[in-house]
Amino acid sequence: MIGAFKKIWDFAGKEQKNIKISIVLALLHSIFYALQFAAVFVILQALTAGNSDISTAFIALGIMAASITGRIILNTFSQLKRVHAGYFMVANKRISIGDKLRVVPMGYFNKNNLGQMTAITTTTLTDVENTAPVVLVTVLGGFINSVVFAISVFIFDWRIGLVVLAGMAAFLWTTSLQEKRSRKGAPERQRSQEKLVEKVLETIQGISVIKSFHLGEKADKRVSEAINESCEKNLSIEKQMTPYQMFQQIILNLFAVAIMAVTAALYLNGAMELTNAIMMFVAAFMVFEQMKSAGISIATLRIAEASIDKANETDSVPVMDEGGRAVDPENHDVVFENVDFAYGERKILDNVSFTAKERTATAIVGPSGSGKTTMCSLIARFWDVNGGRITVGGEDVRSYTLDSLMKNISMVFQNVYLFSDTVENNIKFGRPDASHDEVVEAAKKACCHDFIMQLPDGYDTVLEEGGASLSGGERQRISIARAILKNAPIIILDEATANVDPENEDRLQSAIEALMKDKTIIMIAHRLKTVRKADQILVLDGGHIVQRGTHDELSVQEGIYRRFVTEREQAESWHIAGAAV
Amino acid sequence: MQKKKSPMLMIMRYAGHHKSEYIGSVILAVISVVSGMVPYFAAGQMVAAMLEGADKDLIFYLIWCAVVAAGYICKGIFAGISTSVSHKATYLTMREIRKKLVSKLARMPMGTILESPSGYYKDVIVDRVEGIEVPLAHLLPEMTANVLAPVIMLVYLFVLDWRLALISLVTIPIGMAAMRSTMKSYGENYGKSVEIGGRMTNAIVEYMGGIEVIKAFSQSESSYKKYTDAVNDNAAFFYGWMKSAQWAMSAYNAITPSVLLTVLPAGFIFFALGSLPAAAFVTIIILSLGIIEPIIAATNYTDNIARVSTVMGQIDEIMNSPELERPESGEDAADGDIEFRNVTFGYESGKDALKNVSLTIPKGKVTALVGPSGSGKSTIAKLTAGFWDTDSGEIMIDGRNVREIPLEAHADKIAYVEQNNYLFDDTVMENIRTGRADASDEEVINAAKAAGCDAFIRALDNGYETKVGSAGGHLSGGERQRVAIARAMLKDAPIVILDEATAYIDPENEAVIQKAIAGLVKNKTVLVIAHRLSTITDADKIIVMDGGEVSAQGTHAELLEKSELYRSMWIAHNGTKEGAENDRSV
Repeated sequence: MIGAFKKIWDFAGKEQKNIKISIVLALLHSIFYALQFAAVFVILQALTAGNSDISTAFIALGIMAASITGRIILNTFSQLKRVHAGYFMVANKRISIGDKLRVVPMGYFNKNNLGQMTAITTTTLTDVENTAPVVLVTVLGGFINSVVFAISVFIFDWRIGLVVLAGMAAFLWTTSLQEKRSRKGAPERQRSQEKLVEKVLETIQGISVIKSFHLGEKADKRVSEAINESCEKNLSIEKQMTPYQMFQQIILNLFAVAIMAVTAALYLNGAMELTNAIMMFVAAFMVFEQMKSAGISIATLRIAEASIDKANETDSVPVMDEGGRAVDPENHDVVFENVDFAYGERKILDNVSFTAKERTATAIVGPSGSGKTTMCSLIARFWDVNGGRITVGGEDVRSYTLDSLMKNISMVFQNVYLFSDTVENNIKFGRPDASHDEVVEAAKKACCHDFIMQLPDGYDTVLEEGGASLSGGERQRISIARAILKNAPIIILDEATANVDPENEDRLQSAIEALMKDKTIIMIAHRLKTVRKADQILVLDGGHIVQRGTHDELSVQEGIYRRFVTEREQAESWHIAGAAV
Repeated sequence: MQKKKSPMLMIMRYAGHHKSEYIGSVILAVISVVSGMVPYFAAGQMVAAMLEGADKDLIFYLIWCAVVAAGYICKGIFAGISTSVSHKATYLTMREIRKKLVSKLARMPMGTILESPSGYYKDVIVDRVEGIEVPLAHLLPEMTANVLAPVIMLVYLFVLDWRLALISLVTIPIGMAAMRSTMKSYGENYGKSVEIGGRMTNAIVEYMGGIEVIKAFSQSESSYKKYTDAVNDNAAFFYGWMKSAQWAMSAYNAITPSVLLTVLPAGFIFFALGSLPAAAFVTIIILSLGIIEPIIAATNYTDNIARVSTVMGQIDEIMNSPELERPESGEDAADGDIEFRNVTFGYESGKDALKNVSLTIPKGKVTALVGPSGSGKSTIAKLTAGFWDTDSGEIMIDGRNVREIPLEAHADKIAYVEQNNYLFDDTVMENIRTGRADASDEEVINAAKAAGCDAFIRALDNGYETKVGSAGGHLSGGERQRVAIARAMLKDAPIVILDEATAYIDPENEAVIQKAIAGLVKNKTVLVIAHRLSTITDADKIIVMDGGEVSAQGTHAELLEKSELYRSMWIAHNGTKEGAENDRSV
């Protein structure tokens, strides 16, 4: 339990101050709460003394009024501090995650871990927001209240105070027993829950395969098993926890009984006055109430702890050293000097050197897995090289700030992402200060003007998130328009992803040609046409450049390039019907 | 009452046969509550004895203490058994709801499922159903207990002194009045909070989804600012809302349960006037300490009721969605010509993707579908495969309406290969064997060889025993495609549908994929939606689709003559291909 509090405390960061204040206020609040004892005591004193002076009634009323007023004021401020801490500690974490993303190497991102990061930043952190502050107050506040009550009882009678303390100790003991138990059960339940998600997703996403291959029964069995398991795990946890919860409540109540018994014994022996004895009977019903509700909230504490653990996973995301300066290079030659690169243990590029002169086209060719994509992404610093260096305009890419480096580069090969904003603003993303005419001009060059004009509101049409309302080819062309508007001197392109929309291939092709005009181009090439036109062809195999030259030079050599040409020719003239006969 | 009833009825439709468990758990909860009253009564006896100065010995007190203890123990045990019983019934109900939902999925048109984001059904089946655990397991027994306990206490209070009983209730309206002001603006603020929260979620999703673009276009400053603004706005809004409501909430929380505020002075006045004995007064003080908390707890359950009704609504929506109309059993499908007769179909009502389409896909021939995107090509392929039922018109296979063919028999005849093929998180071997469950390892390997994947499979860490990862994630797109082709080959269905299956997914291995497809389509009825026009020029029949209608059909040569659309597509295609043609002459 202490560990969980520590976690919340560490997570709070800058908001620790507010939590501290909130706790102090909660303590004062408890004191006002305990004032009720005084009101009861005043009445009991008068009762036992047979004193029927009406002013006692007003004293009791006054004490109760003071208790309530004090509680309203202190509770308000304590809650506000706590709410502030809850919402803002989460906001700060969200911002720090966003901040971190700016210095995470771009190569780290993929659909999977971005999705996870998004889920953490939205759902998981909302869970923290909803649970952490509440448990801090109910659990911690409940304990504070109980301690204040215990002290009040001590003031009345130290012997009964000891019984209360023993009750609290017993309660903490059963709690720790319960904790130990749930620590074992909770991960098992978590696993069964994950399995359920996995199997259900498999059934949904694989539904066409399940149906077309008669896997109904087999798939049903797998989901059924997961559903049964989840049910069993839930039941077994319930079975494990219920006795503890029962035990916990009964123990506290038995200590209340002990208070009554000890009080009676002391009273009979003349060791306690009548007023105090009755007071203790009243206290027996009040003193553990807050503790009981704290006990119930401990389950929520577990959720808060788990959510915080998950949110803290983002701390392990790698970051890139970003100590560069804004560089404005004189030319746009791209040079690899003895570049080595590995993903973990796996070596991808081994001592690669080449020069791509300004305003020339370099085509990269090679089998899959030869390192083509990695080579291109290193120029844009998706990752940093392990050895050697890459320069743009004679400056090491690492001495640029990422922003100033990216000003020089347009990439048409990552996933096309469109924002849920107007078409115009999406294109403008390439250069925010562009005029409407410039946007239209870029759109025309990228062959998207026509389809944009057919959208309901033309350039002002708001796209759905991720650009889902457009076809793949249309999205691709908008992203090219964006790049045209950006007008960066270096273009990095993967021809394969630029071919998603077969029907509009020609338009896409002219869009790409417009983009590449007078630029330094480095492209992963698949078409013979583009390869043939390139000023320089690099043939990559197993992380090495094995051939380099022009099409005319390479096509007369034995080697990978010749094979590549033959294969492309065959593939591009393939007919399905010829195969079917 | 009405509001409470409908979600309860909904639940009972699913939890109905656990009714006796729920009734049992309520009865146990009631016993627990009644046992919980005993300590108050017993303590009252002891206090009375003290106040009246009665000459009682320790045994008297110990006996009453034992009664208190017995009351508490019964209360705890019965409450525990009550929740156990209701939890068991609830978890079993959840299991049944989940199984019903999953089996419903199997009867729904595949298309409906594939068109929805996969998160939706998972969300309902896993998370939403999980969410009804708390209300369902706790609502009935605990709400009963929490309503019943104060009622019994009040009755006892009335027996002791009806005036004080009434006075003890005074704090409730005062507390409520304090709360009223915030409740008025609650709806408005809640609406705003949903909006601001939604805006923040969108900002987060966009920032993270678009982070690569943001970096690539050097926009991290401005995008980051948007992100932090949205995050801070969200926190500030909730804080502001709480700030405006906190005084009222604190007042409500402090005043409502403080029964002593009225009971102490009024009781003392009655005592002073001689109309209330001291012992009864003390008992009332003790009782009034425990009366309001359960009422507050009970009101908190109204939130839960609302939640249950939302979840039940979502479950009902799925359970009531239309199913494919297919017989359970019936004649096997023959594999003759496939015919569309006046087929109209729309994904959403009012928007027809296919309008009165009639066409024939002849047996043993290659039929190609071409046309601009959105023209209905893919819809034809999906209807043929039985993903959906038509809105009107018939689809016939060998002269029999597909609606009369059992789904399984229909599926048997068709191998459907698309761009993105789903693989299960199992070994490569088992994934291919999916094609025919009784295939031997050798047959699987032969299919893999024919589909050109034997080499890369052997290069995997554990060869054919390598797990492909969730949805085949450990393999590349091109590798997944080839495994899917191997699977289809093993199935050896007479009708092969290739939905953009030859796309540029893996350019380096295009030749291998082409060879694999060539093996798959041999001697089959083939329906192909082609990636490149040149691949289908010698198809036996080419159907040109435009705007959901058949615009023209014929062979390549015929269409070049008679279809303007086809001609323009062909010219556009050749424009991009020209380079390749030239190359061959080099």
